[in-house]
Amino acid sequence: MRRSASIVTNRIRDRLPSMAAGLLFILLWEAFCRLLGLAEYILPAPSAITAALVRQFDLMLPHIGVTLFTAMSGFILSLLVAAFFSLIMDLFPVLRRALYPYIVVSQTVPIIFIYPLFLIWFGFGLTAKVVVVVLVCFFPVAVSLIDGLQNTDPDLIDLFRGMRAKPLQIFLQVRLPGALPNLFSGLRIAATYSVMGAVIGEWLGAQTGMGVYMMRSYKTFNTPRVFAAILVVVIVSLMVFAAVSLAERFFLSWKYANLRSKS
Amino acid sequence: MKRTLVVLFVAVSTLAAFAGGGGESSEKPEAVTVVLDWTINTNHTGLYVARDLGFFEEEGLDVSIEFPPETGAAGLVLSGKAEFAVSYQEEVTYARAAGNALKAVAAVIQHNTSGFASRSAEDIRRPRDFEGKAYGGWGSPIEEAMVRALVEGDGGDFSKVKIVPIGSMDFFAATAGDIDFVWIFRGWDGIAAELKGIDINYIPLATEAVLDYYTPVLIARDGLLQENPELVRAFISGAARGYRYAVENPEEAADILLEAAPELDRELVVASQRYLAGEYTAGAPCWGEMKLEVWERYAEWLKENGLLEGEFVPEAAFTNEFLPR
Repeated sequence: MRRSASIVTNRIRDRLPSMAAGLLFILLWEAFCRLLGLAEYILPAPSAITAALVRQFDLMLPHIGVTLFTAMSGFILSLLVAAFFSLIMDLFPVLRRALYPYIVVSQTVPIIFIYPLFLIWFGFGLTAKVVVVVLVCFFPVAVSLIDGLQNTDPDLIDLFRGMRAKPLQIFLQVRLPGALPNLFSGLRIAATYSVMGAVIGEWLGAQTGMGVYMMRSYKTFNTPRVFAAILVVVIVSLMVFAAVSLAERFFLSWKYANLRSKS
Repeated sequence: MKRTLVVLFVAVSTLAAFAGGGGESSEKPEAVTVVLDWTINTNHTGLYVARDLGFFEEEGLDVSIEFPPETGAAGLVLSGKAEFAVSYQEEVTYARAAGNALKAVAAVIQHNTSGFASRSAEDIRRPRDFEGKAYGGWGSPIEEAMVRALVEGDGGDFSKVKIVPIGSMDFFAATAGDIDFVWIFRGWDGIAAELKGIDINYIPLATEAVLDYYTPVLIARDGLLQENPELVRAFISGAARGYRYAVENPEEAADILLEAAPELDRELVVASQRYLAGEYTAGAPCWGEMKLEVWERYAEWLKENGLLEGEFVPEAAFTNEFLPR
């Protein structure tokens, strides 16, 4: 009991510097805006942003919901697609050599110019936006999973082979668990990308969502609202990130247990 | 007796209303998609009015209004994903010259309401004053030609104007820094400046006849005009009623737009709507009408400036045929 209490105080102590730095940054920002009398369209003060956020939150809420839904649909879909491709590429090395470069290519497509085609192919509904999210999330997930599967400790595999394990057993008990830490690094990157991807999709053409909200605020020269929306996007992204980290602790409890016993 | 008369009268007038509204009241409304050219703004008000006050419905249409991709909506219209879109004369001109079968079917605003704006401290009163100043644009050759045409038309030296790409930065942010003048829409950025109490000098493009082209316009693809002229006529007729309503009731029209996009700044929308009420049909016999000479002149000017290649037939680029008479 005492030990867990000390863990909590340790964690607070760990985070204190970053929290203090953040607070100081916001105070300096506010002072900077007030002292120089900056116009809002150059840089809105944190107080103006907060006020805009409070006043606009009801209006933002449905947009936030839509963005989160798009981001999560794309995120989950990209995990499924990436898992599928990683597994078949792991099973058939020829396919890996054939397809791996194109996974990299998928990341280099300038979405802005492809998006109008997505609208033509998939229509104005949710699909086109989800495809954008999948396109940005697929890469980190696929690459991390493939690399994780490829980099299994060969000695461990030899050991299991020596014990006459079947290939499927080796896969399920050695290679897949071994690849999970890699996979989760990829998922964490994808988590932050997913919200951004959804916002980009909405910015490029949608009815609702934070991207639409930001565009409208920007086009009516309301910079504090744009910043308030950015703040919301940041917070939503962090929440998704935290959710993935939580899932990691659940699935990789053995890793965290090891870490704790070592420390 | 009296009551039967009343009932009869109501029945007849209802019938007449349906017949007048394009008939086929018993049929399911036809689904139509129109894509905007830009973030929702007061140029689009008539469409929202027509949708929300049921003008489209009375024409037998179920209209959905969609927001465009960053690269514009022409591709969506060409591919048939959308029946109509908001575009501008320049885009239609280029699309036609490149062999794409798009046509303008109505002008949303009669005159070009855009121009070059600067803060009054810069003292840019006429195009000649652009000399020694920095223009902030998005880097298209057409802008350069515009600035050149205005400066040289006013006896100035274009080589003394600095052209700086500023991306999508807005007027206020740009002119707070090193940029001196920017291309704006009078009915949006210009009104916003008034509301913010920032004094600006504004040089309208429309002072040069050649630059007074149609922006925005409603477009459709040639195929649709041939296959389903009734639908086109119904849509334009609904839109025309919407814009006429906006001319006569700017405040109510602004409210309808704000209901569709509550994120917009209310003050700006209302003020912009009042300004545009005087512009939508300015000097034209009816909303939407276009003149051949405007299409000829602008294309000629683009060609002279080396900005347009390919064959362009002005008569094929637009039609007034579907406007309500």
